[in-house]
Amino acid sequence: MSAILEVRDLHTQFNTLDGVVRAVDGVSFDVARGETLGIVGESGCGKSVTALSILRLIPPETGRIAQGSIRFEGNELTALSEEAMKSLRGHRISMIFQEPMTSLNPVLTVGTQIAENVVRHMGVPWSAARERAREMLDLVRIADAKRRLDEYPHQLSGGMRQRVMIAMALSCDPQVLIADEPTTALDVTIQAQILDLMIELKEKTGTAIVLITHDLGVVAETTERVVVMYAGRKVEEAPVEALFENPLHPYTRGLMRAIPRLDVEADAAGTRPRLQEIPGLVPILTRPIVGCAFAARCELATDRCRATPPPFVDAGGGHIVACWEVKL
Amino acid sequence: MSAAPNIPVLEVDGLVKHFPILGGLLQRRVGAVRAVDGVSFSIAKSETLGLVGESGCGKSTIGKTVLKLIEPTAGRILLGGEDVTKLKPGAMWPHRQRIQTIFQDPYSSMNPRLPAGTIVGEPLENYGITRGAETDERVARLFERVGLRPDAMRKYAHEFSGGQRQRLGIAKALSVNPDLIVADEPVSALDVSVQAQVLNLLIDLQEEYGLAYLFISHDLAVMRHISHRIAVMYLGRIVELATKRTLFTQPLHPYTEALLSAATAPDPKRRRKRKRIVQGDVPSPAKPPPGCHFHTRCPYAMAECKVTAPPLIEVAPGHHVACLRRPVGGDPGPLSVPG
Ligand SMILES: Nc1ncnc2c1ncn2[C@@H]1O[C@H](COP(=O)(O)OP(=O)(O)OP(=O)(O)O)[C@@H](O)[C@H]1O
Ligand SMILES: Nc1ncnc2c1ncn2[C@@H]1O[C@H](COP(=O)(O)OP(=O)(O)OP(=O)(O)O)[C@@H](O)[C@H]1O
Ligand code: SF4
Ligand code: SF4
Ligand SMILES: [Mg+2]
Ligand SMILES: [Mg+2]
Repeated sequence: MSAILEVRDLHTQFNTLDGVVRAVDGVSFDVARGETLGIVGESGCGKSVTALSILRLIPPETGRIAQGSIRFEGNELTALSEEAMKSLRGHRISMIFQEPMTSLNPVLTVGTQIAENVVRHMGVPWSAARERAREMLDLVRIADAKRRLDEYPHQLSGGMRQRVMIAMALSCDPQVLIADEPTTALDVTIQAQILDLMIELKEKTGTAIVLITHDLGVVAETTERVVVMYAGRKVEEAPVEALFENPLHPYTRGLMRAIPRLDVEADAAGTRPRLQEIPGLVPILTRPIVGCAFAARCELATDRCRATPPPFVDAGGGHIVACWEVKL
Repeated sequence: MSAAPNIPVLEVDGLVKHFPILGGLLQRRVGAVRAVDGVSFSIAKSETLGLVGESGCGKSTIGKTVLKLIEPTAGRILLGGEDVTKLKPGAMWPHRQRIQTIFQDPYSSMNPRLPAGTIVGEPLENYGITRGAETDERVARLFERVGLRPDAMRKYAHEFSGGQRQRLGIAKALSVNPDLIVADEPVSALDVSVQAQVLNLLIDLQEEYGLAYLFISHDLAVMRHISHRIAVMYLGRIVELATKRTLFTQPLHPYTEALLSAATAPDPKRRRKRKRIVQGDVPSPAKPPPGCHFHTRCPYAMAECKVTAPPLIEVAPGHHVACLRRPVGGDPGPLSVPG
């Protein structure tokens, strides 16, 4: 598998009144052509900032990529001009944001928005771009696509808006699609339709997908490989089956035990099994983290954990974990 | 105050809530959102009734009507057997402490300028249950009970994490010894590890105090964890009501089946080619389809489904379903798609 996107030792920071927030603190991963990579972790662990860094959409007034490298098809994105970045975004790499209303223009019809993107990146005439827009709406199974082209975002339901976002993101055949919580705002039956659609389109077009979510059910059902983040760092990475079958990092194990499961029954007396909690709080990102970021909440933590960050160890089969106490 | 043993803590009978849609220059009433359209259920002491359904199906509206934060258009609400539907705010006052609420986002309902201890003690003072130092003492014990340190009473809401704020909300709801707590998406905004803390706490408190919960969520796994019985809603109506076990092992309503099939499982081995049970979007509650509201998406719909609204009937003991193809004592097996 050749990597189309390589992220190496990414550090992204924000200046705030409380000090420098180390939102992403040394993250590395690869995305192979045509694969679906999941990124999971608790709220605030740096998932969205990682995505925004790749697209170079970190607000320059307060934030910056402080260190690291992002290579897309061999080109270093951190060194690219804003002009060159603009021609990549929405074309070679595109993104679906969590809240579609914030990224759709309320005063333009959906047809115009999709077609504009196509004209900008593919340099085709307007009529061809309109036709492409209709095709895309068909592809994401919006019924009556021709009429919908002339509707405004507020005339569509939440599920349809999310599908329009997907249509727009895929309209220029991107190599990589970054989807940040693409279904969190949606209902269960609509969520299932959207996930099916993304996977199906991926199989058709060969686009690699980076799926960011904190929903482990979504990860289990749609991804091939998973990166687990904690406090701005990657703590574990594995093929999806290995991660769920044999989670190695104490944080990943904690997450897995905390999920209420549809497939675990109360016993005959109706006693509900207790969910496992992860005691304690995530570290404050404005203070430098010495040692392992999870040490304050980890029952296995030793003095070594508190003093020195754990290196990655290789469990084989593409499964790596950063923990001093994992014995292989 | 506690209800007599056999009388449900809460009984809701034929509840209807329509919101007017105003339009035109004069903002005249041009239609109505049928947010809740004839809903009946009851909740016993120590019981959790789960209310599940897609966004906009009327779950929160039921919660707010039961709390008498909004007036029902029709129907009756009984607390411990007493009809409180028509009570004016003054007369409702003594009943209010029997039914408390916890919100999805407790932060928005907390005064940012008051210390947490004062916020939690507010209902105690308001109902004149305790005063001053006595309140502080009681609040300190509540803090301990929900797993917060009593010295956190001096802190302000923004100094707590999401899960801790939810604990504050729970402590406040508990303070006046309610019979029933309406919990509207209380863990939806929380991470799984924090969600686990809050769900465990709610279950412990129920076992300790015999609390009844009306628990609103769209997360089926959370529902299955916490509920005893579950009501599934679609566009303002309950379409199925059964014990948790029955609902998950033998769902009868096509929409319930669709919901269960759409839920993701945290297990890549069970990754399946989803059976596409339903397609399409949820219709608007301002213009619900005639007949069975679900007929526009139901794979098993017959001609009659477009005209006749199926009533919710008890087809097997304790198992209520609103589907024309699920008669009393009918075959619980899979339905056939009409040819
Ligand atoms: N513009 C900003 N200025 C300052 N801090 C920021 C900014 N954007 C993000 N952060 C901080 O960076 C950290 C990582 O945020 P990020 O949005 O990546 O989290 P996330 O993993 O996507 O969480 P969630 O699951 O809640 O979306 C957080 O602590 C956040 O407060
Ligand atoms: N005050 C109001 N005025 C007009 N319409 C309202 C009002 N409150 C709710 N509605 C409408 O009533 C319907 C039911 O809303 P409700 O908030 O009960 O849904 P819900 O099931 O709680 O959804 P969610 O899962 O999104 O919270 C929706 O169509 C909503 O837009
Ligand atoms: S390195 Fe130490 S503190 Fe960190 S997860 Fe492993 S055992 Fe726990
Ligand atoms: S009544 Fe008809 S449309 Fe409604 S759920 Fe039953 S079969 Fe489907
Ligand atoms: Mg995010
Ligand atoms: Mg609601």
